Amino acid sequence: MNFSWTYISAIISSTFRMCSPILLCSLAAAVCSKANVFNIAMEGCMMISAFFAIVVNYFTGGSVILSVLAAILSSMAVSALLAYFIIKLKASPVVVGMAINTTSSGLTTYLMYVFFKTKGLFQRPSLVGLTKVTPFFASWFPELSQMFYGLTYVDYLSWVLAIAVYIFMYKTVLGYRIRAIGINQEAARSLGTPVEKYQFITMTLSGILCGLAGCLLSMGSVTLFIQNITSGKGYIAMTANNLGRSHPIGVALASLFFGICQSVGSFLQQTSLKGQITGAIPYVATILASIVSSIRTKQIKERKIHEAMKKTVERQENAS
Amino acid sequence: MILQMKDIVKTYGNVVANDHVSIDLNEGEILAIVGENGAGKSTIMKILYGLEKADSGEITVWGEKVNFRSPIDAMKHHIGMVQQHFMLFGSMTVTENIVYNNEIAKNGFFDRKANREKVRQLSEKYGLMVDPDAIIDDCPVGTQQRVEILKTLYQDASLIIFDEPSAVLTPNEVDDLLRTLRELAKAGKSIILITHKLNEVMAVADRITVMRAGKVIKTLNRADTNTDELSYLMIGRHTADLQLRPHNPGETLLQVKDLTMGSAAGKKVLNGVNLEVRAGEIVGIAGVSGNGQTELVRCITGLEREYEGSVTVCGHDVSNKGVDTIRQAGLSHIPEDRYVWGSAREASLSDNFLMGEENSEKYSRHGVLKSKQIIEHADKLIAEYSVKVDNSRQKMKELSGGNAQKIITAREIEREVPLTIACEPTRGIDIGAMEFVHERLVNKRDHNGGILLVSSELSEILKLSDRIYVMYNGQLNHEFKHGEVDERKLGKLMLGGKADE
Repeated sequence: MNFSWTYISAIISSTFRMCSPILLCSLAAAVCSKANVFNIAMEGCMMISAFFAIVVNYFTGGSVILSVLAAILSSMAVSALLAYFIIKLKASPVVVGMAINTTSSGLTTYLMYVFFKTKGLFQRPSLVGLTKVTPFFASWFPELSQMFYGLTYVDYLSWVLAIAVYIFMYKTVLGYRIRAIGINQEAARSLGTPVEKYQFITMTLSGILCGLAGCLLSMGSVTLFIQNITSGKGYIAMTANNLGRSHPIGVALASLFFGICQSVGSFLQQTSLKGQITGAIPYVATILASIVSSIRTKQIKERKIHEAMKKTVERQENAS
Repeated sequence: MILQMKDIVKTYGNVVANDHVSIDLNEGEILAIVGENGAGKSTIMKILYGLEKADSGEITVWGEKVNFRSPIDAMKHHIGMVQQHFMLFGSMTVTENIVYNNEIAKNGFFDRKANREKVRQLSEKYGLMVDPDAIIDDCPVGTQQRVEILKTLYQDASLIIFDEPSAVLTPNEVDDLLRTLRELAKAGKSIILITHKLNEVMAVADRITVMRAGKVIKTLNRADTNTDELSYLMIGRHTADLQLRPHNPGETLLQVKDLTMGSAAGKKVLNGVNLEVRAGEIVGIAGVSGNGQTELVRCITGLEREYEGSVTVCGHDVSNKGVDTIRQAGLSHIPEDRYVWGSAREASLSDNFLMGEENSEKYSRHGVLKSKQIIEHADKLIAEYSVKVDNSRQKMKELSGGNAQKIITAREIEREVPLTIACEPTRGIDIGAMEFVHERLVNKRDHNGGILLVSSELSEILKLSDRIYVMYNGQLNHEFKHGEVDERKLGKLMLGGKADE
């Protein structure tokens, strides 16, 4: 019994740790799609910010605050560049997004060599990670204290941000205007909203979320930078955004689902299952979730059409 | 006088859209601007609303000379516009749509209650009934239009421009709209109504400005004129009275037998439909839309293949066959919606003319297109149908509705096949283009072609059809010969009434 409680709380803690970067990135994707800009560059933003967090961490002798700041600012810079291309220059968001994702992978590898003269992996004892926090109520349930093992304040923050984004999008005037732009850009423009300005700001600010995700990767459970540290989490976040229909709460649940898949996948590595199979679990889950999501979208659409037809018939019957 | 537009000139390339146009408007007045598509009436209103900039001319609003750069400037001067294509946020509520950009906020938070109350008051004040909490997508078109009107009122507009407001409405909704226009004028709002529907103009306008080919032809008082004079001024000639020459129909071109189709809900959308179209006749199907006409046409043209019963086109059994087979058998189709089915908006005119024919030997060899023949064909049809365009490389979306319809009509009628299905061939197009399309359909009939005409416009059915079927609830219930039935009786039958009532 004791063993299984420990085991479960370890899985839960791992789930939370796996979930937070995905959650932050999918929130970024969600606010962008609410504002009618298609953002697929979370992967790149995250990688750049993870890298600069480590760079600043190393050169300031372990200043966590400055590292987090560097992560946020670098990610915002990348997002602003992306926004400039998509919104100002009207470039295809897919092309620009992919360009940023591949560039950031190459760029970080190159800069790692420039700054640290190493390839592949950079790790130093002088690097300081994010502060790990155990909430005060953890001691009330000794069996479950493992649940909060290794969680940093950014992990907790990601959940607070999910709620904050929800309140911002659905309760404030600004959020309402951003959603309106997403629903009908031309209508918003016709009423005097500087649509491009709103979109540019939304996209740039979404960089903050990816920046936080980035520093979680390089300064969270471990403090280091390796090539391709994001390992496709940005793309999983894209799927989480689809699955959660760009609604902050939906997106949070979808991210949690992917977090569970990742943590279960890594725990099953300790069993006799082949590593290749357990490693594939999160990605297989992504594909399955995408399929389920698109089937559901289709069903909802069909139901809507059906209801609309029924209404028309009723109206005609009433008219006659 | 609250508005004076003087000597406005606007050119696009070498087309003069507005040629020294002058318009004025008094307080509390309804001014109708009538004219055919392309007469320049929309352009002059776009200039007034700040959507376009005039090349020269003067605009004075409430005694102040203005030069609007955007609709925002116009709104600040209390000018609002209800556009033909609504500018609404579909998945938001009525309230959210109306208060946008002028929301009542509490510390940056959207104050749901206060905004809803504001909308309720406004809607009661002007008798424009809406449910503040309804989602726009769930509202009928008439309600959506009321929301657009409320939007302009919320922005405190005193001069409201309506661009073809009745084009999208059902007859009942049109009555409501006309009543609303009168009430708004009574409440002191000044209204400009752009339209080409003369009966609406005669019902509400105080004065009428007629435009043709970019110029103002005349401005008249409603009391001093009538629809005949107006249509003469609009078109520049008297409308021809089209008469069907008696004609003996020949062999059967289209035979539909016991066509039955179910729907997802288990209800029969088509229930044992039998009909026949013979060479040299136009057969009309009258009905309120949604009674199975769309499905019937989809079955005959092969867009729908899951049905029972048989369809024979020119002697070939094409039951449950695909579109291409049926077109090869000898059928052409002018679809109900000119943009959804009829054409590709982003493609050039010559490409649109080619569609469906790209595999024929005339226009391609071994899969390579013969550009010269294609362009020649396009140019020939553009000239023959007098479509107003610069050249055949233009994109479809740059054309007005009437011209787009002419292109589709030209493509389908000029295909050398005996049978044509024409669905709503004149929906939303002006009198000139309508007459032209009618003339072409009759011309095809006189040359021994067969035409199945599906239309919700009764006058069209009555004028053109040698035989008329009435469609109600998935069945063809009644059949009449030309001249045997009138609009009133047909209208009753279309709603499921009995013939002898």
